[in-house]
Amino acid sequence: MTDLGATIKRRLLANQWSFLLIVVVLLSIIAGTVNNRYFWPGNISNLLGQISVLSLVACGATILIISGNFDISVGANIGLSSVVMAMLMRSGVFPPLAAFVGVLIAIVCASLIGGAAILFRAPSFIISLAAIGVFQGIALFITQGTIQTIYGQFEFLGGMKIFNVLPLLFIIALLGYGLTHFILTRTQLGRCVYAIGNNQRAAYLAGINVNRQKLIFFALNGLFVGCAAMLLLSRVGAAQPSTGTGIELQAIGSVVIGGAPMSGGKGNVLGTFCGVLLWGVIGNALNMMRVNPYIQDVIIGLLIIFAVAVSSLRLHAEKAMME
Amino acid sequence: MDQNTRTEILAIHDLSKNFGDTVALDHVRFNLYAGEVHCLVGENGAGKSTLIKILSGAERADTGRIIAFGQTYSRLSPNQSLALGIATIYQEVELVKSLTVADNIFLGHELKTRFGLVDYLTQNREARALMDSLNITLPETALVQDLTPAQQQILQIVKALHVNARIMIMDEPTSSLGIEETKVLMNIVRQLASQKLGVIYISHYLQEIFEIGDRITVLKDGQVVDTFDVRSTDLRTITKSMIGRERSLFYGRDAVETGAVVLQVHNLSRFGHFENVSFNLHRGEILGFGGVVGAGRTALMNVIFGADRRDTGEIILNGRPLNPDSPRDTIEQGMAMIPEDRKVLGLFDLRSLLENITIVVNETSGPVLDHRRENAAVQEIVKRLHIVAAGIRQMAGFLSGGNQQKVILARWLLSKAQILIFDEPTKGVDIGAKEQIYNLMVQLAKDGKSILMVSSDMPELISLSTRIAVMREGKLVVTLHSKQVTEQELLGYFLGIHDN
Repeated sequence: MTDLGATIKRRLLANQWSFLLIVVVLLSIIAGTVNNRYFWPGNISNLLGQISVLSLVACGATILIISGNFDISVGANIGLSSVVMAMLMRSGVFPPLAAFVGVLIAIVCASLIGGAAILFRAPSFIISLAAIGVFQGIALFITQGTIQTIYGQFEFLGGMKIFNVLPLLFIIALLGYGLTHFILTRTQLGRCVYAIGNNQRAAYLAGINVNRQKLIFFALNGLFVGCAAMLLLSRVGAAQPSTGTGIELQAIGSVVIGGAPMSGGKGNVLGTFCGVLLWGVIGNALNMMRVNPYIQDVIIGLLIIFAVAVSSLRLHAEKAMME
Repeated sequence: MDQNTRTEILAIHDLSKNFGDTVALDHVRFNLYAGEVHCLVGENGAGKSTLIKILSGAERADTGRIIAFGQTYSRLSPNQSLALGIATIYQEVELVKSLTVADNIFLGHELKTRFGLVDYLTQNREARALMDSLNITLPETALVQDLTPAQQQILQIVKALHVNARIMIMDEPTSSLGIEETKVLMNIVRQLASQKLGVIYISHYLQEIFEIGDRITVLKDGQVVDTFDVRSTDLRTITKSMIGRERSLFYGRDAVETGAVVLQVHNLSRFGHFENVSFNLHRGEILGFGGVVGAGRTALMNVIFGADRRDTGEIILNGRPLNPDSPRDTIEQGMAMIPEDRKVLGLFDLRSLLENITIVVNETSGPVLDHRRENAAVQEIVKRLHIVAAGIRQMAGFLSGGNQQKVILARWLLSKAQILIFDEPTKGVDIGAKEQIYNLMVQLAKDGKSILMVSSDMPELISLSTRIAVMREGKLVVTLHSKQVTEQELLGYFLGIHDN
């Protein structure tokens, strides 16, 4: 291989996101070769719409994971806040107002988890694990387990496409990425996210009000989750308590695939975006290639393990160099 | 014991070890006979720990030979060391506290019944028999967490004997023990020697060493100064050889006029750590805190900085009482702390130089960052402190110890702190960076700032401090003017030799 080739290779492998992008492009080429409808606008548009909700949840997860925290109740939180939105709309509340109330509920739920973790000095992972049951139980109780259909009252967000290709949902997701990127790189708060995640004790000794900042991280996560619930409701046109189930693991997976260590202190939005993209593209590409759905799960699992392995080995090598 | 009848069980020839540019051990020679207690003394950083680590297999020597029981090795693995019967007892107790005494003795090689289950009855019986043979009275069924620190130390010895230890290395075994407990432990050590074990005994407490040792080897800056026979030497000779060093290690500092009192501490206590400490700190002063490890100096600094609670006493800063809830409050009042364990308490190793340096001012700089101003300020201070790095975006974890220390210092210079607490400012810092840090500290004093400096480095303490406060066992015993004190006198105060 020439020197230039080696340089390009090193450049591309230097960042987790560029590695992920290579995988995404390769997958797309294979899928497009097998079935040229993969590149049709309809499919691309569908793909982008699919990953929009996950994108917003992953933005919140990026902030939390970098700061060394977890909220795995976001799926249940989406379930609860979206059924509240739907029920309010069904009872005649002006839809945007109903959506606003739902987002507020999501923020309160997420803040309660953060607050409990701080107050009891307990790992937020476990607190949020327990909260899944609480949120889902409340949602089941108020809906009595029924699906809340809103009969097209709130279609604007979910259905609109710019130039007939670009879903408005995806534009909103991009705004979420932009906001997260801005917070992480351009604000006082962002510096605290990284500092607390890297070394909480040192952050405390440097004068950071660790507890207050952590609460803000959780509330921000709630904001992203609430917006995700709103988009999902608009896209699907109905909500039920199990809406959103499983999205928390996809979101955490995307962040970690994107290069952030589970222990926090590092990571960026670009990595998360590529992680989300990989997640969306694998599923879509396998469908397009008409792979047996049972085998799809196997392949998705193996690809994710591969992506995490690359990310982990890189972090490990970096740590070894530090010693 | 007669010279000719002694059997040499361990000999070390020309052992050297470097950590980067720092020489930890320099052609060290050492030997140990069966049935003797050979004491190893030296200041912090003299190389004692490194030597132990090489013998226990935790570190590997660069050059040199180890001859144990007639076999020659260029290095030992932890397993080889264990198989040879070399047991190390560290000051940090390494026992499973939720298990019983007998369980701990048999940990890893439990006795089994016919059905493959742990045979507790036989274990308890054998543990009892083993301890009886040593005249040790520990309850074999008691939980380790219910034992006193001394009993836990003794249990570690029993555990080592159970795996047939023939060489026992004891690292500061009495540092957390009271007088009575120390006596009990020392009796056991003598008994071990009488059973033909070789004991390598490390302690800061010289009187203890004279009571228990047969020979004393003094280490200084990684070299063996000499090995003395206890019967033909005295405390004076030992302390002198511990500290005797070239003048060049002393730093010549400019004198600084000190001003008004800025910080008053009255009868400050944190029970279990330090008691009734009182002192004043002046403008432009470097007040050094000396003493052996565990004298309560770091605990005192943590309370003053607001990181730990006090039990009694008051702190008055610029005439106003200071009652901080957290370091955030003291930082607002212009205080700063450069901690001893910078990796754990100071550094954000995954973050850039820039983020590390701006983290304190970040709290007061407004919600949105001004990248251009930040860059300029950081570039300027990196240049001023001669921080060697690939750029201000480099990850701080990749820097050398000295540069990491300067990064943390830079953080407080940017925040314009008025009172700076330095805890072991040059620990793990190479000679070049050391001098630069000294220059900076003196410059800070000249600029009217005040410094509290905890240091275990004698020349540093004497040459840098305006006054030296000596702490021993949680009490501030004396405050000395550094110009009027010699290293030997100071060591005497540290160890409590002068006042009895």
